[in-house]
Amino acid sequence: MTTSTIGGTTAANIQSLINLRSQLDDLQRQLSTGKKSTTYAGLGLGRGVTVSLNSQLSAINSFDQTISNVSTKISVAQLSLGNMFDIGNSLKTAMAQGNSGGGTLGATAVQQNANISLDEMIGDLNTQAGAGYLFSGRDTDKAPVKTYDHILNGNGSQAGLKQIISERNQADLGANGLGRLTLSSPSAGTATLTEDATTFGMKIASVTSTLSNATVSGPTGSPATMSVDFTGGNPSPGDAITMRFTMPDGSTENMTMTATTANPPGANSFTIGANASDTAANFQSGMTSALGTLAATSLTAASAVQASNEFFNADANNPPLRVDGPPFDSASGLVAGTSANSVIWYQGETGSDPARSSATARIDPSLTVNYGVRANEQGIRSLLQGVATMAAVTVPNDANTSALSSAFNQRVAPSLNGTAGGQTVSNIQTDLANAQVALNSATQRHAQQSSTLSTYLDQIQGVSNEQVGAEILTLQTRLQASMQVTAMLYQTSLVNYMPPGG
Amino acid sequence: MSLTQALVSAISGLKVNQSALALVSANVANASTPGYVRKTATEVAIAGNGTGIGVRISSIQRQFDSYVQSQLWTENAGASYATTRANSLNQLQTVYGDPGSDASLETVYNNFTSALQALSSSPDDPAARNQALDAGQLLTQQLNSMSNGIQSLRGDAELGLSDAVSQANEAMSQIAKLNQQLAGSTLNDSATATMEDQRDNYIGQLSQLMDVKVIAGDHNQVSVYTNSGIQLVGNQAAHLDFNPQGTMAANALWTPDPTTRGVGTIVLSSPNGGSVDLIQSKSIRSGTIAADLQLRDSDLVQAQNQLDAVASALAGALSDKTTQGVAVSPGLQQGFDIDISGLSTGNKITINYTDQLTNTSHTISLVRVDDPSALPLPDTATASPNDKVYGIDFSAGMTTVYGQIANAIGSTGMVASNTGGTTLRVLNDGPGNIVAVTGVSTTQTATTLQGGSSELPFFTDGSANYTGAIGPAGSQGVGFSSRITVNGSLTADPSLLVKMTSTTAAADSTRPDFLYQQLTGSSLQFAPTSGLGTAAAPFTGTITTFVRQMISVQGQAADTASSLKQGQDVVLNSLQQRYDDSANVNVDQEMANLIQLQNAYAANARVLSAVRDMINTLMQM
Repeated sequence: MTTSTIGGTTAANIQSLINLRSQLDDLQRQLSTGKKSTTYAGLGLGRGVTVSLNSQLSAINSFDQTISNVSTKISVAQLSLGNMFDIGNSLKTAMAQGNSGGGTLGATAVQQNANISLDEMIGDLNTQAGAGYLFSGRDTDKAPVKTYDHILNGNGSQAGLKQIISERNQADLGANGLGRLTLSSPSAGTATLTEDATTFGMKIASVTSTLSNATVSGPTGSPATMSVDFTGGNPSPGDAITMRFTMPDGSTENMTMTATTANPPGANSFTIGANASDTAANFQSGMTSALGTLAATSLTAASAVQASNEFFNADANNPPLRVDGPPFDSASGLVAGTSANSVIWYQGETGSDPARSSATARIDPSLTVNYGVRANEQGIRSLLQGVATMAAVTVPNDANTSALSSAFNQRVAPSLNGTAGGQTVSNIQTDLANAQVALNSATQRHAQQSSTLSTYLDQIQGVSNEQVGAEILTLQTRLQASMQVTAMLYQTSLVNYMPPGG
Repeated sequence: MSLTQALVSAISGLKVNQSALALVSANVANASTPGYVRKTATEVAIAGNGTGIGVRISSIQRQFDSYVQSQLWTENAGASYATTRANSLNQLQTVYGDPGSDASLETVYNNFTSALQALSSSPDDPAARNQALDAGQLLTQQLNSMSNGIQSLRGDAELGLSDAVSQANEAMSQIAKLNQQLAGSTLNDSATATMEDQRDNYIGQLSQLMDVKVIAGDHNQVSVYTNSGIQLVGNQAAHLDFNPQGTMAANALWTPDPTTRGVGTIVLSSPNGGSVDLIQSKSIRSGTIAADLQLRDSDLVQAQNQLDAVASALAGALSDKTTQGVAVSPGLQQGFDIDISGLSTGNKITINYTDQLTNTSHTISLVRVDDPSALPLPDTATASPNDKVYGIDFSAGMTTVYGQIANAIGSTGMVASNTGGTTLRVLNDGPGNIVAVTGVSTTQTATTLQGGSSELPFFTDGSANYTGAIGPAGSQGVGFSSRITVNGSLTADPSLLVKMTSTTAAADSTRPDFLYQQLTGSSLQFAPTSGLGTAAAPFTGTITTFVRQMISVQGQAADTASSLKQGQDVVLNSLQQRYDDSANVNVDQEMANLIQLQNAYAANARVLSAVRDMINTLMQM
């Protein structure tokens, strides 16, 4: 340390004043910005850590944004699913009421309800959140479901559900309206019932008989045939034969013919004739009437449900199966439709992977949630299918109104809550709720992490206002003192004390 | 002894007093002139006939501590070296931005990964797609501007060198001129002293520019040498030549070969002929010139290399696709088949094998080269430390390629052949069993946006693909950070961020997931030219950790340079203080001298007056 002589040019002195001044400026900057330094160099050894901390904070921030984004989407999807669930329940109630009320009025009310429900449900399925549709799997840029009008009524040359049900109805009922079954009498005293070789109509599943004296054989062969031979003698009144038919949708219906002495015999009965030939003829005409009724009720409902099955069990890669016609009432089989001649109701993505994994969000470096939904998932599809079927069919006002309504009710109502053992809308809701739980817990975790990291970052980058304030005070005092002393030093020159004029 | 004698003595005293007064006046007037050294007069008595007969001024002396002066010159060089370097590195710090601010590389990079994260959770959102591209563009712009910032600092260093060289030439020629003038002067009069002041001033200037050694000779002569022993000034001055380059680019580097040199060099021409390249001979070790050289050729080049490493890693991580070969075992040999048709220039085939005799694993990298003048490649051409690198010339068509590969790997005992099409087959030596092929793979750059795989050329080198091509002028990676840009086709159609093929679903997150994972999760190797890691153990990690390390190292360097500067400043200031104490004019002292001289003048005048009185008395007798 050198001591400067009084009056000498004290460069070092001035330099130290400048240093003090710049320190003061820097402290002022620290106080106003709250940052220790404007360069990495000034941060000290922690500078590398700040880069890591900033990167982690930024990652947490972006995960949080993702979470809030995904939360919104899931909430919107949950609303739609909840609405669909309610639609299913309300239609079910309406059907039960309509059925018990009976008559055309009830059926019309159900159909109206179903039409409104279908429209609403399609609206729900075509919900958008942010940029994309929620129920399209990965193809979020396409509305998952065609419009209400296209689905029911078709679009130009593309057939809608109504047309497909109608074609199938014709094919199942056949030209004679007996469900493609043929009654004949190969010899006197014998009645034969033969099913059609095609997939259409009712199929004879089994026969049980308590007809005394009559010989019941079959069903045998393919196509199956059964016959009742009355040549052994007339049955007693009250004896009955029960035939079990398999419907196009896989359901079965029993039809019982009871022998009676009354004439005319009434529904599902036949009058015991004078001889075997008479009885067989009566049996045949009774069968014709009973089969006609069955075809107009259960078969019509089953046919519509099956047509609906084919229509909804389809996507862009697998167009629906159509009746090979016209003519439809004598059609020989089903043929794959094309997207040109049939409405493809589902337009979204059809992956083989689980629907949930069609939308994935990373909410943590190691955690992802799946929240994708496809409108053609079983739970949603069976609900939509039930609603659409009820909306598409019109129950005519005739003697069979009540039975037909009941047949629909029996077939469609269960599917409104999902098929037994299969997926339901509630299952999807549960899946999404689980994702929401994961999102919430991740948010909480992130808040904690973020706070810890920010505190650490602040310790490196930030300054304590109290400390800087104290430093400024100290520095200010030193600077003032130094300036005063320097000024005094400059004044103490001999020149100032020499008398003027020598 | 006589009255006349007294009269003469008094007059000589008056003359000396007047001269001394003039000196005091000059000292006071020059009290704040830089480089002015306080002068004092040396008075000697004139004696005759055994008695004093008067006084005269024998010489004008410069008052200073010559030991401190030579130390000051030495420290001058060190201090200006430290100052220049600290200032430049501090400016370099501003290139990296305020810590954590929007303009810092880390923030821009974090924003990019965040945007990719958002994209992977909403691949179908056009806003998310645009945001990812915007963030990517901001990142490339940040890299471009940082690279420009670094090159502009290199340009400043180049200009600084140019200025320093012309200053040095001026100082050296002035020193030589003053040397010549002083040689002609035999008296130590005030003119001589002033010239010496000037000469010291020029030496002081020169000592800030480079480290010099000053040797004083006879007849007021000095010789100036560099510390490395090259003479700068003797009777005549040497001349320095510098050829500054107007614009600075990352690939403009100093090399001993003038044909490949992209920056200026300093050539010293001696007065007697002969010239020497001072950079090549590493003759300048301190001072502004050494600092500028260090900045231009080392510090800033390394900073650029680090940025280039970031840019290359970014582009490569998103576009490079590694394909493993298919194991085959024809006859008794085992090995792998691999299709090499998709290799772009700079892409490589990696062969892993085990030397069965020593049971050690080795790696061979075969790099596609399209310009044979770049061959042979050094092992440092790839970031991997443990591989042997061979450049394979593809310019003559595929037919010659297989032969070149077979030659390259032949010494290991492995056999390469073409099994038809573009399939390369690498086999071991079969029954010899001295080598086992453990794996063959290719690393290819995806060059199309809808190639069906997640990899895509997200970043491009201007409008060309970045494949790491190696040409005679060096790797494509040099200066890549100044040219990196987001692929124009991608900005034209942001949906390609998701659509790996034309039929990819809008919300398919496969590609966005890949992009995010590559940037945040995958570990990459960085070439040791970045100065991080060593040739034997290159830096390995994610881009974030590399950026962290880069900022750490650069921050530390700037911090250290700043501390060094502060230390040097303290040393220099205290030396300067000591020198000033001895050499500067002290006005108080001059005033005291003034009073003394006034008294002496009055006394001499009194003597004159007494002599006159006495002579008058004598005359009136």
